[in-house]
Amino acid sequence: MLLAVPGGVASSHAQEARAPIQLLLQEHGEIIAKSSRRTIGPAIDALARSGLPQAQLVLEKWRAKEMWRDKETGLFVFAEEIDRRTIRIFDFADGREIAEVADKGFKQLKPNSGIRGLIGAALVQFQLSDPDPANRATALDAIERDAEPSHLTALRGAIESEGDAGLRARKARLERLLTIRFAEDPAERIAAIEGFSGDLGVDVRAALNPLLARALDVSTSRPSGPDIAAVLEPGSAALSRAEAHALLVDKGLAVPRVTPAQKREALIANIADGQVGGVQLAELDSEAARDLAYAALARAGLAPPSAAPGDIDAALAAHVFFERFVGAPPEVARAAADVLAGIETQVAINQFIDLVLDAVSLGSIYFLAAIGLAITFGVMRVINMAHGEFIMMGAYTGFVVQQIVPDYTLSIILAIPLAFAVTFGAGVALERLVIRWLYHRPLETLLATFGVSIALQQIAKNIFGTQARPLTAPGWLDGSLIVNDIVSISYIRIAIFVLALLFLALFLLVMNRTRLGLEVRAVTQNPRMAASMGINPDRINMLTFGFGSGIAGIAGVAIGLYAKVTSEMGADYIVQSFMTVVVGGVGNIWGTLLGASMVGVLQKGIEWFNPSNTLAAQTYMILFVILFIQFRPRGIIALKGRAAEA
Amino acid sequence: MSDAALPARRPFVARHPSVLIFLALLGIFTIGVTLLSEAFGIGLVSTSFVKTLGKTLCLCLVALAMDLVWGYCGILSLGHMAFFGIGGYAIGMWLMYARTEIIVVESLASAALPPTPQEVSDAIANQIFGVVGASEFPPIWAVADSLLLQLAAVVLVPGLLALVFGWLAFRSRVTGVYLSILTQAMTLALSLYLFQNDSGLRGNNGLSGLQNLPGLDDVPQSIVSLWFFWASALALGLGYVLCTWVVSGKFGSVIRAIRDDESRVRFLGYPVEAYKLAIFTLTAVIAGIAGALYYPQAGIINPAEIAPIASIYLAVWVAIGGRGRLYGAVIGAAFVSLVSTWFTGGGAPDVNLGFATIQWVDWWTVLLGLSFVLVTLFAPKGIGGLFDLITERRTPERHGADLGPDAGSLREKEAET
Repeated sequence: MLLAVPGGVASSHAQEARAPIQLLLQEHGEIIAKSSRRTIGPAIDALARSGLPQAQLVLEKWRAKEMWRDKETGLFVFAEEIDRRTIRIFDFADGREIAEVADKGFKQLKPNSGIRGLIGAALVQFQLSDPDPANRATALDAIERDAEPSHLTALRGAIESEGDAGLRARKARLERLLTIRFAEDPAERIAAIEGFSGDLGVDVRAALNPLLARALDVSTSRPSGPDIAAVLEPGSAALSRAEAHALLVDKGLAVPRVTPAQKREALIANIADGQVGGVQLAELDSEAARDLAYAALARAGLAPPSAAPGDIDAALAAHVFFERFVGAPPEVARAAADVLAGIETQVAINQFIDLVLDAVSLGSIYFLAAIGLAITFGVMRVINMAHGEFIMMGAYTGFVVQQIVPDYTLSIILAIPLAFAVTFGAGVALERLVIRWLYHRPLETLLATFGVSIALQQIAKNIFGTQARPLTAPGWLDGSLIVNDIVSISYIRIAIFVLALLFLALFLLVMNRTRLGLEVRAVTQNPRMAASMGINPDRINMLTFGFGSGIAGIAGVAIGLYAKVTSEMGADYIVQSFMTVVVGGVGNIWGTLLGASMVGVLQKGIEWFNPSNTLAAQTYMILFVILFIQFRPRGIIALKGRAAEA
Repeated sequence: MSDAALPARRPFVARHPSVLIFLALLGIFTIGVTLLSEAFGIGLVSTSFVKTLGKTLCLCLVALAMDLVWGYCGILSLGHMAFFGIGGYAIGMWLMYARTEIIVVESLASAALPPTPQEVSDAIANQIFGVVGASEFPPIWAVADSLLLQLAAVVLVPGLLALVFGWLAFRSRVTGVYLSILTQAMTLALSLYLFQNDSGLRGNNGLSGLQNLPGLDDVPQSIVSLWFFWASALALGLGYVLCTWVVSGKFGSVIRAIRDDESRVRFLGYPVEAYKLAIFTLTAVIAGIAGALYYPQAGIINPAEIAPIASIYLAVWVAIGGRGRLYGAVIGAAFVSLVSTWFTGGGAPDVNLGFATIQWVDWWTVLLGLSFVLVTLFAPKGIGGLFDLITERRTPERHGADLGPDAGSLREKEAET
């Protein structure tokens, strides 16, 4: 350990007391030492505005609690602690080491978190020109979060020197946004506002909206002047009569209307001898009687008078209600309103595009859920109420595979064929054991498969529990494709859409281009004739049902990625799936596609009218489908001729 | 053929001996439960079990309706529990309103000023709708203060809904499985609608406290439950007679004919749609009445009761009991719901398989589902089919073959009984 130099010698250290930065610090020495959040402002401002190259260093050291003050000379230094009693001090002016001294003669400055926040804000301007791009980006983040008027100048100064093109664009955009908010010259602000015409950024709207702030005011004559935003009529949508009257009351221009509750309290307060204002208590069980009693009280000066409806009418008629711009000078506000109106139109268009994307993605989920049904129900005319449970089985297969294979990409690739195999087997078993005995009793197929459905659901519940199980998507499916601030679509939804298209192609390929498809169509149209041609209808029925069920299993994996895996997930889709097939037209895959699109568009469309309420959207969607079936009982694409009677 | 050639019409009861047997059994059962109850008897049957039995009778009544529409008319409606629920909601609204009114009036009576009608109504609304964050009566509650009008709603709302829905569906010739899916969609839509908080019926909270009859707080639940039990038994008895009367005679023959071959009946000149609509509406009304008796005994109704699964269970009961015969529906509903209560209530002993223990609370649904598949496959006539074994032994000679439910089941026998 070094021998501590006595404090008296400290002044002998070669420290430049007349360096500009030290002079500035000395000027504000007292308030810096006092270290109070309320008084520190001028000192930080002075440092930040000084333009001295060392200002940043001072602020950083200060914030890091590394600034010390010589108790004797009052000079500021920064220091690093060597051990508990010794510090190594440096000069702010040139960063040179001065000496190693005992810390007794120095006082460490410990700014509290409030002051550190202020210092941080002041540092932003230095960070804007920091050599490290990451620091510059952090500074921009800080400004975006919490902008101050002083940042505008700093930002303007930092644009020219910016080398990174991305950061430069960000700086320029931020500069224009800050110009809108803080610039003094209205013309400059208007120019910046108009520069943002058609920009969809949330930040632009956030900057423009406060400019449009209006305050409600009232006068007896029609007001004029550039800052009058609008004249309002009481009783209109923008200003209800109650609000208008409340404003008049606030300004002392009208007598308030006593509410029933106030009236009641006043009456209770003035009960005397079983009566109030000359009315018996027992008779006060109607508003009319209470009005009468209250009027008597008011006449006697025992309660404030209440405005009669006529008074309110007269008061409202005698005044003009108007709004004035208070967020910005009127010409700036008008420019902002114009630009904002243009932006709103753009936003509406983009929201519509987003809605369509949502609808398409929901439609593709319904299509996925329904495509297996399009085979078992659409082609074979077998009502399989356990279809939803096949979807669930597929999803649980995916979940189990993920438990065994931790790699998400690999596990999904494994899960898809495995889910197909599992549900194909389940479908074949169901067909062999149950359905083939019931081909001539469709209603009973419905009931028997329903029995299978509740049994499978309960078995899944017993095995996997009631809580939702996650099926995690591989990393490359995380995130969304972002077109702009409004239109975005998650990669999973895109994947489901692609998968739906693939299934459509697969279905068409199998049905129209393979021997199996030919035989399936033959058996569907006329099983006996097909049998006499050497096709084994039993085998074909079994394979077709297995194929449809297998596709349901794959759909289950896809739906599991998008939603949670629960034992009831199949039941959630079953009614919608059947409706999709029925609406589209039984026996036609294109019909199912149209049906799914229609159901998706409808549901999203209705949700758009009432976004908070997806239940209502589902309700009205189902009602619409019920009505739709009244008018096209055989769906959008109806089979004609003999096939329709099958 | 002149009228003289027809055999003389025997009295209704004589033509349908099953009605007498059924009523006698129901009467004996009712008296038995009363004598064993806590309120009027030796207390062997607990109040909660009286309620269970009363609820089971209501389920039997709705199963009767289901049998009429499905077993006799061939319309597999998967929406009759919606009508059941609507009946429950209709009576529940009055029960809740009237009881809350009594409480509110009592609490306001101690206030300094006598309450105005508006204050009373606001306070009731606050009490009832506080849970869904509303404090005003939705228009749907306009007549909730009138028992008579709500009782009318028990009958009229399910009836009108069935009339409109049935008219739309039958008019456009939606039949078979399509109709089943459509009725299921209707139920789903209704339950989803009721799940919303702004539906005016307290969202997923439903209506509760229905077991307390307004103004009868002094009467113990043991007696109230017996009243409802008797009412349910009476309703079931009347419902049985009504259904028997409907399926006998010409009307019954026509609806069975519709079940067996709809087009042929149409070509014979019968207005098939009108018949189906009549049966659909009538059974909806019966279901509504059954629901209105059920939910005061259950004490609570919420939209989950209307979910499509409930209506499918109704079909399960009827199928297990044996459709196409009225007593089959009653047997099925009583059997399955009581066995279900036994299994899910922990009454059944666990089965130790060595490697695993089967706890029936968890596995009962699996058993139900599988037995349902088995019944559908191997015993399409259900439990009621067992009675055929007895009657067939007595009268061996039969006209025609056993045609099965899908190809004209039992038509000759039913025409005679």
